[in-house]
Amino acid sequence: MSPLAQTIKSALEVDAQQFHDVVDKHMNIPWQEFLRAWGELREADILKRDDAGAYFIEVK
Amino acid sequence: MSEKGFRSFLDDLEDAGQLKHIRKPVDCRQLSSLGDQVEEATIFEDIIGYPGWRVATALVSTRKRLAIAMGCNENRVAFEFEAKSTKPIEPITVKSAACQEVVMEGDDVDLTTIPLPMMHLFDGGPYISGTFAISKDPEHGSNVGCYRLMYRTPKETGIDLVSPSDMRFYYQRALDKGEPLPIAIAVGVHPLDMLAASYKAPIDADELALAGGLRGQALEMVKCKTLDLEVPADAEIVLEGELLPIGWTADEGPFGEFSQISGDVKWNPIFRIKCITHRRNPIFYMLQMPWENDWLAAPVTEAAGLQALRIASVQPVDIRAPVGSCGYWSLIASIKKRPGEGKNAVTALLSVAEVKFVVVTDDDIDIYDPDELDWAIAFRVQADQDAIILKGARAKHIDPSVKSWLLGKGGLPTTAKLGIDATIPEGVPKILYRRIKSYGRDRFKVEDFE
Repeated sequence: MSPLAQTIKSALEVDAQQFHDVVDKHMNIPWQEFLRAWGELREADILKRDDAGAYFIEVK
Repeated sequence: MSEKGFRSFLDDLEDAGQLKHIRKPVDCRQLSSLGDQVEEATIFEDIIGYPGWRVATALVSTRKRLAIAMGCNENRVAFEFEAKSTKPIEPITVKSAACQEVVMEGDDVDLTTIPLPMMHLFDGGPYISGTFAISKDPEHGSNVGCYRLMYRTPKETGIDLVSPSDMRFYYQRALDKGEPLPIAIAVGVHPLDMLAASYKAPIDADELALAGGLRGQALEMVKCKTLDLEVPADAEIVLEGELLPIGWTADEGPFGEFSQISGDVKWNPIFRIKCITHRRNPIFYMLQMPWENDWLAAPVTEAAGLQALRIASVQPVDIRAPVGSCGYWSLIASIKKRPGEGKNAVTALLSVAEVKFVVVTDDDIDIYDPDELDWAIAFRVQADQDAIILKGARAKHIDPSVKSWLLGKGGLPTTAKLGIDATIPEGVPKILYRRIKSYGRDRFKVEDFE
């Protein structure tokens, strides 16, 4: 997993966040790089959704 | 080469003073909010991180620009759509196409090379909002529709397939056999093609021939690189792939819906992409929600209403699907009425798709004037005689009042529908509706006394 994907993963393990919150926190990252990191989390099949649509990752 | 296409429509907008160019560099995270602030349609000429790409948006987000696409007056859009839809022109196949100038297959497939926009505050991801989606069923043939795609990975998107549609039906048939459904997605086609794709045609109707009828010339199609499907040759981008046989199990949404609501998380299939093709200097089309979707929906709903009235042997005079109902959930019509036809008209219009509110008036009422409409409802309606309620009709998930979240994954909601016959009731003399008019209004002119 790339360092950026790992950073997003760690944040989502702590708090559920709307997608726009995740985007806001990485505005300095080129969009394509951000999308690839997000894709890594999707491929890992670890993203969950809460009732408000926010993303989170369960810590086992 | 077709005369009408996505790029020729941009030229038409330019000629009409309806296209704004933004030449400063713009990030994909800024596209939607900037486009939303511009009165005209917008083309972004410089996308940060995507050299050679441009992004166009809000092409038909007003009725005026939709009328430019149709080549008619704003109030004649529905009638023009209806007339042209009766003269379908079969598509033709060409051997080479602009949409295949660049080809990415296999490991090279990478959606992140396309400037996918961050559109709305509560969206579940970046979206491809304006699509012309082609699928095929062994028995029913090819079908075209419009479905949004949510970015998941460089090779996968979510797809909103919760509502009843021909592609959902095709997908269910493939799913029952445990097979994927091959589909192709074209992005950046003429708005008339989008109108044809969103038309609620019978399952065996040919939307491609309808698109040809609306264009007044055959749609040119080219065979996909990896699928037994054909796509519009003049599209900007094409995604070839398949809907995985997983049913309605993957989270998708929320997305800024055409109901003007942020929506919620839905459970949907996944679209896996095997090949991306596009023009050499492509323009990504970002369909701006909700207005662009609403104005594309309105003529389709109105034309379906006209058709329903004619099948019911009622003579329509005017019809509109108000943009407050997103061009989809309400129909207001005026008719040349014979006894009983107010009710016939109401029931006919209530049968149209997910239309849930209908008002029918006589032809002396200007249905574009809300005061006129209120007047007709106030004085021509008795609630116990002129209101019709239908229960348990087909509904759309995005209407919160149908409580679709109670249905579970893949469930289909129903709705109640209300129709109001605001025509002059049978048995009430028309003389009782004579409108106030000043004595001598036609003869005495105020300018003669100034």
